Amino acid sequence: MTQVMTASTQKQLRQGRIRRGVRSILRHLVLTVLAVIWLVPIVWLVATSFSGYRGINITTFFPASYTLDNYTNVLFHPDSVAQFPRWFANTFVVACFNCVISTCFVLMVAYAFSCCRFKSRRLLQNLSVTVNLFPGVLAMIAVYFVLRYLNLTNSYAGLIMVYAGSSGLGYLICKGFFDTVPASLREAAKLDGASEARIFLQVVIPMSRPILVYTIINSFMMPWTDFVMAKMILNSGISSDWTVAIGLYNMLSRTLVNNYFALFCAGGVLVSIPISVLFVIMQKFYVEGITSGADKG
Amino acid sequence: MAELAYAAPLRTDGKEPNFLQKFGHAVAHGDIFTKLSFFIWGLGYIGHGQLIKAVLVTLVQGLGLYYLGVAGIPNLMKFGTLGTVQMEMVFNPATLKNEVNDYDNSFAILLLSVIAIVVILALLASAMAVVTSNYQLQRIRQAGRKTNTFGQDIRVYLNEKFYVTLLTLPVLGVVIFTIVPLFILIAVAFTNYDQQHMPPNALFTWVGLTNFFTLFGGGQSLSLTFGYAFGKVLIWTLVWAFFATFTTFFGGVFLAMFINDKRTKLPKLWRTLFIITIAVPQFVTLLLVRNFFSDNGIFNTMMANLGVTGLLRDAGLIGANMEYIPFLTNASWAQVMIILINIWVGVPYQMLIATGVLMNIPGDMLEAARIDGANPVQMFFAIKLPYLLSVQGPALVTDFVKNINNFNVIYLLTQDVYVTTDQAMAASSAKEVDLLVTWLFRLTQEQYNYKMAAVIGIMVFIICAVFTVVCFRFINKKEATFS
Amino acid sequence: MKKQLSLAMAAAMALSLAACGGGQSESTAQTTSTDTAASTSEATSEAAADWGDVTLTMWGAEEDQTMLREMADAFIEENKDKGNITINIGACSEADAKDNILTDPTAAADVFAFADDQLNELVAAGALQEVSLNADDVKSRNLEGSVEAASMDGKLYAYPMTADNGYFLYYDSSVISPEDAQTVDGILAAAAAAGRTFDMTVNDGWYIYSFFAGAGLQATLADDGVNTVCNWNEEPGADVAQAIMDIASNSAFVSAPDADIVSGIQNGTVCAAVSGTWNANVAQEKWGDNYAATKLPTYTLNGEQVQMSSFAGYKLVGVNPHSANVGVAMMLADYITNEANQQKRFEVRNLGPSNINVNASEEVQSAPAIAALAAQSDYADLQRVGANYWDPAASLGQILVSGDTQGKTTQQLVDDAVAGITAPVAQ
Repeated sequence: MTQVMTASTQKQLRQGRIRRGVRSILRHLVLTVLAVIWLVPIVWLVATSFSGYRGINITTFFPASYTLDNYTNVLFHPDSVAQFPRWFANTFVVACFNCVISTCFVLMVAYAFSCCRFKSRRLLQNLSVTVNLFPGVLAMIAVYFVLRYLNLTNSYAGLIMVYAGSSGLGYLICKGFFDTVPASLREAAKLDGASEARIFLQVVIPMSRPILVYTIINSFMMPWTDFVMAKMILNSGISSDWTVAIGLYNMLSRTLVNNYFALFCAGGVLVSIPISVLFVIMQKFYVEGITSGADKG
Repeated sequence: MAELAYAAPLRTDGKEPNFLQKFGHAVAHGDIFTKLSFFIWGLGYIGHGQLIKAVLVTLVQGLGLYYLGVAGIPNLMKFGTLGTVQMEMVFNPATLKNEVNDYDNSFAILLLSVIAIVVILALLASAMAVVTSNYQLQRIRQAGRKTNTFGQDIRVYLNEKFYVTLLTLPVLGVVIFTIVPLFILIAVAFTNYDQQHMPPNALFTWVGLTNFFTLFGGGQSLSLTFGYAFGKVLIWTLVWAFFATFTTFFGGVFLAMFINDKRTKLPKLWRTLFIITIAVPQFVTLLLVRNFFSDNGIFNTMMANLGVTGLLRDAGLIGANMEYIPFLTNASWAQVMIILINIWVGVPYQMLIATGVLMNIPGDMLEAARIDGANPVQMFFAIKLPYLLSVQGPALVTDFVKNINNFNVIYLLTQDVYVTTDQAMAASSAKEVDLLVTWLFRLTQEQYNYKMAAVIGIMVFIICAVFTVVCFRFINKKEATFS
Repeated sequence: MKKQLSLAMAAAMALSLAACGGGQSESTAQTTSTDTAASTSEATSEAAADWGDVTLTMWGAEEDQTMLREMADAFIEENKDKGNITINIGACSEADAKDNILTDPTAAADVFAFADDQLNELVAAGALQEVSLNADDVKSRNLEGSVEAASMDGKLYAYPMTADNGYFLYYDSSVISPEDAQTVDGILAAAAAAGRTFDMTVNDGWYIYSFFAGAGLQATLADDGVNTVCNWNEEPGADVAQAIMDIASNSAFVSAPDADIVSGIQNGTVCAAVSGTWNANVAQEKWGDNYAATKLPTYTLNGEQVQMSSFAGYKLVGVNPHSANVGVAMMLADYITNEANQQKRFEVRNLGPSNINVNASEEVQSAPAIAALAAQSDYADLQRVGANYWDPAASLGQILVSGDTQGKTTQQLVDDAVAGITAPVAQ
């Protein structure tokens, strides 16, 4: 009787192990399939960027011949259509300025709404939520004319002002984070005689590394990904003045796509590399920042 | 008193007189400097011994008045008609230049008038505030105490009133780059600003509610199709927003749980694989995917080679004489594809968030449930999901609104690719796959129909506002019962 | 104390607005007064011989940038005694010119190239300067059709640049014989036999016009210059729609956008296409000696052969009336479209000239694409349609190509299309 029991339990154990093994394989198989789905376009992007054929490859997934020409062309042989080095420099400048100004604005607004108490706080917060409900594309045309009356179209200063100008509205996640900073800390600092400004700069900011990283990444990436606004403001048509996004978008226009698709892919990869590196390194902070902010909404 | 007011929570200071009452009191009891400061801001401060402040505020006032004098008032006077003098140009062969008459530019009038109104309101409010503050200075001096020096004032702005320092610039930015443009566009909805009335060559003028009637099908035959197109686009916009929000949300949650599960090996690697897709700029991936799924594109070639195209044709899912799968060119296919592609775009991002939120679930709650013998499914529905929803609820609402306004995904995937087969929609240049925002964008960019675009924009705002208010009411009620 | 918050906020707001207001007032003052002030002062003191400092921006197609730079430099060199000229070259394809200009005509380039179908909208928006220098010479040296395309109400608004912006048929003569190429049926039969395809972008108002116009129906600009008149729903419009459906359902026929046609030619699946010169170069490279071009074929309508019509297309150069130096801009536009530069354009970019002399030269006449366009020109109409033409026409094409008529008869389809096309613009 006992013999039989142990034998059956052993069998059960073995079966359990096998079942667990099968499950584990299944689980990783599913993940692999998902990962493949998610990576196919990326792989296609990278593969096409090395393609010997400059147009869109429609017969085979991987190009028939490989070459580095697209990269050398993009980087070292700018023509009238593809002036990648210039675009990269332009976008980088805009991104840096936008990054500094936007980050400051977001932090300032978030701190004011989270840690300061004043009469019109509720009102301003509600207003900001309301304003965010209007579709941004609609305001674009008017923004353009405002800029024109300021004589700031076709200038990076204008573009930076548009990107950074309204950035204060994106304070919500950051405010959520500041809400989690214990009020007692600020009270203690105040008792030590620190001013609000000092508390902001020397107590709260240093504690907010995750949200700082999140805000910086977001504002830095903005000029690399926006093309609608940029296209509207940098409308002189002179391609060396463009940002990366306008330039890349332009490469896919009807008359150019058959000669520039591979170049577009190479450009896309080049833009992605710094962002990916930044992202993977900062991933931890980014997640922390976003979730602690979202926690409080 | 300042300290008290600062420390006191918002709602409890109801006893304090409001801004208008204080202003009235100041005007009634103020000395001559206080009263005069309404007209020339600096006078009050000079009278009350704050010279630097006097110079500064007068400078600000001067700038405001300068704007009003030079541009504001002249344009405000034409605000009623939006201009009457049409542009006329004559080429002068002697100088090789065009001679232009002193014409009216309706848009400039609108823009500068809106700014002028904002400036006037700001100046008035400021003047009232100056008077009130001067009255306070007067009282301080009458009590025989010293008023703040400039340095002390600055210190106040770094301390009790630090929020003023913090908010000034961002608020300015928002006013110039968001609020003023919005006012202008709201105004445009009540004008006939379209291709036939485009400044600087033509004038446009006020037309009242005509454009709104057009949208809802009053009047001519074409307006019927505008109303029709609006209805269809609106429905698709809502369907899209619903699916886009919830598919990515739950997709992200499941993926996060899957990867974070103890039984999954190398979670970090998996997460990184998915995150790579976030790092490639969205417009690059979307344009790429558009070509990937184009009618004669690589994916269609692969499907045809694998025989899938033939299979679908036999199943009647694509037209009988179709050589390809119309991923982005047939209404139903395109709508499904757009949602699927959006899952591809959005899930990694939501996974990141969900990963963080799930980690924050109090461990003892899960432990208790496990001891009670709850299986994973029960645990998900009983603990994780409610927790996620309570934390992410507001974010879901804002995501929904963001998706209603999700310009990039739709525009990049369908522009130049999708041709509508709905002739009634084509007549108002809408497409089945258009969101309200992409439709209004194309109306401005291709048809220069700014008036209808502005009307649609206002509609979008109303829809978003109603939705948000209702949802937050609901959430707040829920939260109240929760705790 | 709190009053001071609002004070500070409001003051700051006022400050900024005043600051930007100042800027605005300056610029508006400039735009309204410079032209008049400058012109009156100059009229009295200076003759046209001295241009002073002139900065111009010129927009042209991306592919033309290098050539335009050379032309601009030559223009500067030629006129260096008259003034200090700077010319910036920007990229803006002829097809997109209208979209970029109409958003804000005052910020657009001084000189720009555009396709002739945009002329009426540009004129209506006041974005085209009437040619007021050397107009007779421009008219006399260019082909009649091109001058007509550049004129409205008898006034010349632009400088003809090329005469090759229409579409025609090109094919691989190793697959399709010249006789086959006469009819759509012949092409389709030959293509099917070779397992290859005949491509055309049917879901596009520009191309679908060829079928209806071929059958004698019209789509043209109304007298107001903005709306479109169209009678595609009259006899035999419904049958034309049916004929298009029949063609589209042939397995050797593919309705594909430009980019797909090019890749199809390149990978060998396409053996004949209706398209323009911009894709012909690819076909010429790929098919080599087998490349042939001719007028559009005939198609079968109610059992009879009907010659396909087309839009005659010209590329024009326009001058922006808002330019600060309209006169010099006109001279530049004149210069880059003169005989020598049209010759150069043909040599460098293979673009068919609108200049009578260049067009008559032997090398131009022997270019297959240009010969084909010349042959097609008998059946080509000037492209004059309003803004509401494009979407409904494209939609009709898309429906006919998909073969799914949504339960409508062909007559209902053309009725609905005409309702959309003829609907008043911007109501």
